[in-house]
Amino acid sequence: MQSLSVRLSLIMATMSLSLTACLPSEKQDAIVNINKNPFPSTYQALPQQNTLFTNATVLTGIGQRLDNADVLIVDGKITQVGIDIVAADVVTIDAQGKWLTPGIIDVHSHLGVYPSPSVESHSDGNEMTEPNTAEVWAEHSVWPQDPGFQAARAGGITTLQILPGSANLFGGRGVTLRNVPSETMQGMKFIEAPYGLKMACGENPKRVYGGRKQQPSTRMGNVAGYRAAWAAATEYKRAWDMYNSDYAAGKNPQPPTRDLELDTLMGVLDGEIRIHNHCYKAEEMAVMMDLAKEFNYNSGTFHHGIEAYKIADKLGENGNCVAMWPDWWGFKMEAYDMVEENVAIVDAAKNSCAIVHSDSNTTIQRLNQEAGKVMYRANDNGFDLKPEDAIKWITFNAAKSLGISHKTGSLAQGKNADLVLWNSNPFSVYAQAEQVFIDGAKVYDRHDEKYQAKSDFLLGQE
Amino acid sequence: MKFKQFTRLKQFKTVTFIFSAALSSAFLTHAAQAKTIAITNATVYTVASQGILSHATVIIENDIITAINPEHVDVDETIEANGRILTPGFIGSMNALGLVEVGAVARTRDGRDKKANITFDASLAFNPKSTLIAYSRKGGITDNIVAPSGGEGLFAGQTFAANLSGNFNSIITKQNAVLVYLGAESKGSRAQKLQALDHRFADIQEKLDKKTDKDEKPAKTLKRDEKVIKTLLSGEKPLLAYADRATDLLALLALKQKYNLDLVLVSASDAVLIADKIAAENVPVIISSIDNLPSSFDSLHGDLSNMATLTAAGVKVILAPKGDSHNLNQLRFDAGIAVANGLAKTDALSAVTANVADVFKLNSGRISVGKKANLVLWSADPFELSSKVDLMWINGKPVSTQSRQDALRERYTSQSDLPRAYSK
Repeated sequence: MQSLSVRLSLIMATMSLSLTACLPSEKQDAIVNINKNPFPSTYQALPQQNTLFTNATVLTGIGQRLDNADVLIVDGKITQVGIDIVAADVVTIDAQGKWLTPGIIDVHSHLGVYPSPSVESHSDGNEMTEPNTAEVWAEHSVWPQDPGFQAARAGGITTLQILPGSANLFGGRGVTLRNVPSETMQGMKFIEAPYGLKMACGENPKRVYGGRKQQPSTRMGNVAGYRAAWAAATEYKRAWDMYNSDYAAGKNPQPPTRDLELDTLMGVLDGEIRIHNHCYKAEEMAVMMDLAKEFNYNSGTFHHGIEAYKIADKLGENGNCVAMWPDWWGFKMEAYDMVEENVAIVDAAKNSCAIVHSDSNTTIQRLNQEAGKVMYRANDNGFDLKPEDAIKWITFNAAKSLGISHKTGSLAQGKNADLVLWNSNPFSVYAQAEQVFIDGAKVYDRHDEKYQAKSDFLLGQE
Repeated sequence: MKFKQFTRLKQFKTVTFIFSAALSSAFLTHAAQAKTIAITNATVYTVASQGILSHATVIIENDIITAINPEHVDVDETIEANGRILTPGFIGSMNALGLVEVGAVARTRDGRDKKANITFDASLAFNPKSTLIAYSRKGGITDNIVAPSGGEGLFAGQTFAANLSGNFNSIITKQNAVLVYLGAESKGSRAQKLQALDHRFADIQEKLDKKTDKDEKPAKTLKRDEKVIKTLLSGEKPLLAYADRATDLLALLALKQKYNLDLVLVSASDAVLIADKIAAENVPVIISSIDNLPSSFDSLHGDLSNMATLTAAGVKVILAPKGDSHNLNQLRFDAGIAVANGLAKTDALSAVTANVADVFKLNSGRISVGKKANLVLWSADPFELSSKVDLMWINGKPVSTQSRQDALRERYTSQSDLPRAYSK
């Protein structure tokens, strides 16, 4: 993709040169381009096996439940979902009494950047040195040996977004990973998944910087900080756009000075980087929606939206995804107004995109149960939600938030063969993932030690 | 479809509301007059010698269980359980329930004080009206052991027991165990505290022995903190020791033997490595069921099966999630996770009822004659995500599971022409 766009701009440059041949032409320096993918993925699927799952209870992730259904995966893709599928030269797994779901996706994790053991030497998730650190990338902090990745895989997590922390107004870029063991971050990187930009509302930035007697020390200071940054990013983008159009017109403009912080913000303005906004409170989410309109970008996904239920319709109308816990609360003032039906209320609005996230190396191991709690508590109070509804909060909607729903997050023909075979209804406290597949490769098997990876850190410990 | 779902919600809501209003007002009038209640046709998990009883009747008189399956039932009020499960109320432990409202709001936190020492009695700060308490009742929790987090000294103060009735007389026992935190230090060595603990016990023991020699009355001349140490040395009060690494746990077992302490290990990540020794010493272990990651070099052996392993070795285990007070109502799900990883359901139930009562000498945690009527009637399997508390009694009185969270949900899911603030 990168090379294609370079080639295109070269062609355009040549064209404009020939068209303007009779005008006094400047000698052009080589065009300066920003490499948008300097740390490319080296991920490769683990050894794949063509597999037919038979007689499973299938939750597709996009609203259907199929009983006694079969799923066929060939060459890392889902090729058929239906009844009585016949296939030759495949491994057949009898899933009678078992449930099959898409691989579970967590949109909010700090695995690798706040790993276990939690020692200062590995505490790399929050660049708390200035309120805008849009220039830092979480992927440069990921320790792939975090044992939490293995534990999450045993809970069915196949894809996860690693975000920087929430101390800053702009915390930096998040990265989407495949949950496979690797010695490098690049070996886990989800190919062509868009970058995320972590923003944070509320208490954290104002506490961290206010405590140092610097801006922001208030919520209005927070918003002033966002606006100043977007104003600068708008200028930066204009400078690059002008450089590119001037160059295309045959001129020999000076390229703008590279600014890593503004590169990231410009990526958002260009629609290439997605906003992931730590934002608990209703009134703050509403301000962030308007802020995005002011500077013409997409306000993206709100994370930890404890009060999202108060503005569920507005969130749907505005097209935001909201990632929520089922019931964590009270650890700070902005988390005080929790209701256990938050996810369900957000989900019930028109055009909604409700997600259950973990933000925890513990609950990421049981995101199915986190979603289950929401479903049952909501049903206790008048909702009528079913497993086929709840599963989308941790699969399809999560994939949509990350911009990868065309590849994963559902059991549908042509999608990546990311799936979890559960020993029972995944919304039971007793449910366990038995086998986990990523791109058609088995990456975990509860009953076969061969498929139970172990971190270097834990190897040989007594 | 979504709109339909929401409409259905409204209709159903009205029905639930009327139903629960009727139910609670019935309770209130009866509770005022009723002296005796029969819960009939229940599946009773006694967590006592009677095991599990089907179609059983439990009689409550005032605040006490007075009979199980009596021949004649003559009561003021009968609750038909229709086969549903009746358990003792669950007992939380080692959290700050009633000592904290909002974690990050310092002025709502009373579990810690620089000057807190071994005499620290945090029960003076207990707030039965905290919103955490009503929310915790949703998890079927009727009693709780509250643990302060201490100060700068060796000991972190003392725990106390409280019920979750929300009444001003919720405290059951004050200062019922002494807390000490051991293990890895960010500044200094773990050895220092272990040594200080040993010296402290030795010094007081010496003082007590000396006084006895001279035939003086020791208690009179002891300082307040020394008197507390004396209650540890006499085995009158348990010593709750937080530690994870096996070497620390072994050092504590050695102290137990040396001073004849009533030792309880808390956190105890490495306990599985020395499970037989702990069992042989009859030392109970208070542990989480979900801390399976190597969060420090002191806890490299965390596993979801640890509770099952310890129980199989004969250790008396209490389940207590680490540190969390706001979501204490998840205790039952943590028990379910332990069951999914090898613990017998009955053992998991003991770990949140009878075992806690035994260690902290509470007259609850079992359904047997003479025990406090702290009971929960469940819609189904108490450990399942799908079940809920149908009815609940503390000291024989019905208590509500409605909390501030329900009020907020009601406000934001009901229709009104006026702003939400008018819906109350």
